Amino acid sequence: MDTLFLMNSLWVMVAAVLVILMIGGFILLETGSTRMKNAGHIAGKTILTFGIGSIVFWAVGYGLIFGSGNALIGFSDFFYSGYDIEGLSLSGAVFFLFQLAFAGISLTIAFGGFAERAKLGAYLVFAVLFSVIVYPPIAHWIWGGGWLAEHGKQDFAGSTVVHLTGAMAAFAATLILKPRIGKYNKDGSANNLAGHNQVFTALSVLLLWVGWFGFNAGSTVSVDGAFFGFVAVNTNLAAGAGVIAAMIISWIVMGKADVPMMLNGALAGLVAITASCAFVDTWAAVLIGFIAGFLVFYSIRFFENKRIDDPIAALSVHGVAGIWGTLSTGFFATPELATVGQPGLFYGGGLHQLGVQALGVVSSGAFAFIVSFILLTIMKAVMNGLRVTEEEEIIGLDMSEHGSYGYPEMVKTEKAIVSPNPKLNA
Amino acid sequence: MTSYLEIRRFRDDQIIWVSRNHLQLNQLHDEIIQRVISVSVKQTEEKHGSLPCPFTFFMMGSAGRFEQSVWSDQDHGIIYQQQGTEINHYFLALGKEITQGLQLAGYDYCDGDVMASNPLWCKSLTEWRQQLANWSNNSNWEGIRHLLIFIDGRSLYGDESFLEKLKIEVYQTIHKENLFHKVLNNTLYLKKGIGVLGQLLLETHGPHTGSLNIKEKALFPYVNGIRLLAIKGNIYETSTLLRLEKLSELVLPSIKRELYKQQFLKLLNFRLSLSKPDNYENSHYLPISALSKKQKEEVKDILKNGTALYRYVRNLIEKEDD
Repeated sequence: MDTLFLMNSLWVMVAAVLVILMIGGFILLETGSTRMKNAGHIAGKTILTFGIGSIVFWAVGYGLIFGSGNALIGFSDFFYSGYDIEGLSLSGAVFFLFQLAFAGISLTIAFGGFAERAKLGAYLVFAVLFSVIVYPPIAHWIWGGGWLAEHGKQDFAGSTVVHLTGAMAAFAATLILKPRIGKYNKDGSANNLAGHNQVFTALSVLLLWVGWFGFNAGSTVSVDGAFFGFVAVNTNLAAGAGVIAAMIISWIVMGKADVPMMLNGALAGLVAITASCAFVDTWAAVLIGFIAGFLVFYSIRFFENKRIDDPIAALSVHGVAGIWGTLSTGFFATPELATVGQPGLFYGGGLHQLGVQALGVVSSGAFAFIVSFILLTIMKAVMNGLRVTEEEEIIGLDMSEHGSYGYPEMVKTEKAIVSPNPKLNA
Repeated sequence: MTSYLEIRRFRDDQIIWVSRNHLQLNQLHDEIIQRVISVSVKQTEEKHGSLPCPFTFFMMGSAGRFEQSVWSDQDHGIIYQQQGTEINHYFLALGKEITQGLQLAGYDYCDGDVMASNPLWCKSLTEWRQQLANWSNNSNWEGIRHLLIFIDGRSLYGDESFLEKLKIEVYQTIHKENLFHKVLNNTLYLKKGIGVLGQLLLETHGPHTGSLNIKEKALFPYVNGIRLLAIKGNIYETSTLLRLEKLSELVLPSIKRELYKQQFLKLLNFRLSLSKPDNYENSHYLPISALSKKQKEEVKDILKNGTALYRYVRNLIEKEDD
């Protein structure tokens, strides 16, 4: 067996492991950003739905994406059995696992829009439906030789395929599920249902940041020319710029360096650079991440004002930053690096690539949103509602869906913290 | 008036007439509180026999400073002349009676338990003397905080001289031990009210979204800054305005004194005329959208001058340290 084949396989295997560990990052992100009474539920369901997503991907997902078919969908290679894949210079099983991990991440992002109010049953059913009907078509269009691939759509590691798709499903879910109890006051003002652990959230960002080296650099699916190093550098720079931008803008507008906002800035930078990491220069990666950090700040405020309750900011971090990242190659893709599609606007490529990117965003985003919305509406009718009862929501989904609290000693005393400061100034 | 509920009715009848007038409003508060104490004393005498010795009841916090808005919570204490287990029990019972009475008359309980129903704030003259000495000797964060609360105390009932004596001693200790730096550190934290672009920093979440937290962002710097200067200048007044008036040229030049007085008065008027005073919490927030452009500028000036005052006080104390 030739060395390159083995090296490629080994590298992508490492990347797949990193991406699967990102599920751990999402567990910390989602639990840290929500309340104690739902922590066990959120942690547990994330593992459960990744399990479901894995089985579905093996049975049909992979075949729908990469099987031979037409411009819209693949249709062969179901129940993948571990064989090597023609035309790939790495182990078929490793490639399969790597792709499975991406599908799992997209699904996990989608469930961000369900947080703290959806029934466990809704997770189970939607995990199957999303993994069959929502994710595979879009992945096929862009990565499986479908119609957007023919246009030369640039989405190196999945700003559109993974992040925007997940975010659009999350968007449909937040609209159908409605805001959490207590999120909005009668006059329309929003309350801050603060997450219970900023340390978890910060650690989640670190775990995701490192995982992203698997996500982006691993998407080279080869060690050829050690190009993965360059991709990893761009990835790291965008994340750094994102956190700085979010800190600056929150300090300017709100007068404080808001911690959750900074963390979302880092993630937005990562999501944005996902599409463009292999196509742009390092300075452009910094700029792309920086702009993503600004965007995420305004996006979070925008959705909150529109009474769209998005507990973990999935719409802003994965949706808005995903759109920006996808469009960014239309500006910044360089002639040397644009191995797919054409150079961007700033490199004499004109508006062509930007148009292709926009087409990709609109068609993929619309498809993911509309199909998810229809599926969830049908589920709502058939399953007698997607949301737990008010009482269950108040006692917490740990108890209502699983019968025990993630923090059994703590949750009973969870209440508003009264200022210990005596009335010096009252 | 012989019952708390009667006093409550009196309060509800009267308060709407004075709710926009700082002076009259606070006079009314004083009157209501004094009536409550009279009833409480009578009730306690009926249950536990006549008063064993003279005492004074004093208010602290915004009531002590004569700066209450329509709604306010209670912060108060008792000093009694003689010592003894039974006397202690007697005055603690009185403190509890007053606390309940004030609650029935429309004053929320104090979150921090600064109330005469708490043995910490209900003591004989001798015990008070010891406690105040402990607070200044240990001079840890909590002790200093308690001292500052005490310094805003104002007698509303009984023998005023008890409180006066103790305050003089506290001031002397602060000067002798030079605790000014510790006092400064205790109240130095200032919540930013104006952003780098010169915009007002408003609440972004919760029922007060779009409003300015004037308690923390505007009142605190004036109240804390002027209190410190008052200690420095040995002024025993408790109201921020009176403290300002009496400060000597050495502590604060008259031109600044006049400016801060104007600004603080304007702030009190803003609070009374524009916040929705339907409960204690609401009276701390100023709905900015209801303000005219000119008023917004005035609010910004108040905040800026508050910050400037803070900086002045800080420099004054830190310069002396060198």
